[in-house]
Amino acid sequence: MSVTADPFRGDPDDPSAPPAAGVVELTVPVESDLLVLARLTISTVAARSSFDIEEIEDLRLAVDELCLSVLQGRRVGRLHLRFEGTPDQIEVWCRYDGTAEPADQPEGDADTDGLSGRILDALVDEHGPVTGDGWLGSRLCKRRVVHPD
Amino acid sequence: MVRTARPETTTDDFVEFAATRDPALRDRLVESHLGLAHQLARRFANRGETHDDLVQVASVALINAVDRFDPSRGFAFSTFATRTVLGELKRHFRDKGWAVRAPRRIQELYLELGRATDALAQELGHPPTIRELAERTGATEEAVLEAVEAGQGYRATSIDAPDRQDGTIASRLGDVDAGFSGTEDHQVLIQAMATLPERERLILQLRYVDGLTQSEIAERIGVSQMHVSRLLAVSISKLRQSFVAEP
Repeated sequence: MSVTADPFRGDPDDPSAPPAAGVVELTVPVESDLLVLARLTISTVAARSSFDIEEIEDLRLAVDELCLSVLQGRRVGRLHLRFEGTPDQIEVWCRYDGTAEPADQPEGDADTDGLSGRILDALVDEHGPVTGDGWLGSRLCKRRVVHPD
Repeated sequence: MVRTARPETTTDDFVEFAATRDPALRDRLVESHLGLAHQLARRFANRGETHDDLVQVASVALINAVDRFDPSRGFAFSTFATRTVLGELKRHFRDKGWAVRAPRRIQELYLELGRATDALAQELGHPPTIRELAERTGATEEAVLEAVEAGQGYRATSIDAPDRQDGTIASRLGDVDAGFSGTEDHQVLIQAMATLPERERLILQLRYVDGLTQSEIAERIGVSQMHVSRLLAVSISKLRQSFVAEP
């Protein structure tokens, strides 16, 4: 699938405008230690949207997987993430910013036989590649399970 | 790297196994999917558990997946197995994961959160939110999030690892080992399950054995997700009453 509007572009009429309410953007260097920031961010955004603790656990794993699938073994550059939480769902976009080519990965990390896709299938409601203005990335969406009062 | 050739299996093999429960075929089905268990175990690397331990957890989950897979439901075994193995690995870390660098207050809060999560899930009929956990434990939402991250964080070690004082972290927490009553609870649960209507039993199985989400269950049985949530809450409440009623 692809998106029609670039989620990283912000307001085209006012590029300096801050992100809309409920939107958090994060840029991290490609270092495995710093993926913790992506996990903490999704936990916080999901908690604000009243996702339950099991859903948050799924989202943390899913964001890791989303980043891995975008990186494809690259070890330099930056990852841009955009988290958009509403009371009903969370969407995360991830794109790679750098010049490195996808690299060979250790056995088990590589997306052999669509493993990343199957993992994301198990964790979120929607996921897939997205294209923007000169970039390729991935997106996921998880809808909140509504519990009766 | 030299790879050991694994036997190829097809959906027809699962159909045959569902009909015959042939042990030799079961072995072949498990063996042919061990690569998936290894790959998924590797996704949980660098969290303080050895790769061999994780592969063991994943492999046991894979065997359970082979035993429980119903090919007539129309989705691929790899999808079902991924969900089952991920669920078991998550459970493994929820039970045993520990962040060695976390301050003691966070370690203790993490353990308290585990108990609060179980209790609230029983009371509410659904897993609690961060806010509900914060209210129950008296911690801030930020501290709860910190503990959740620490408890499942990277560079973790076992709760049974020695700490700077004598003994282990676990030895000084003073909880009764839930395993002592596990067998008895299991028997009560089996009896209580038998009293539930067939649809409620099916929903419980789809949610807690097959690992489907409420939305997936809703789609499967043709009701709303809200209705599934209500039925789950009702069923769990009935099961809880069975336990309370036991002398």
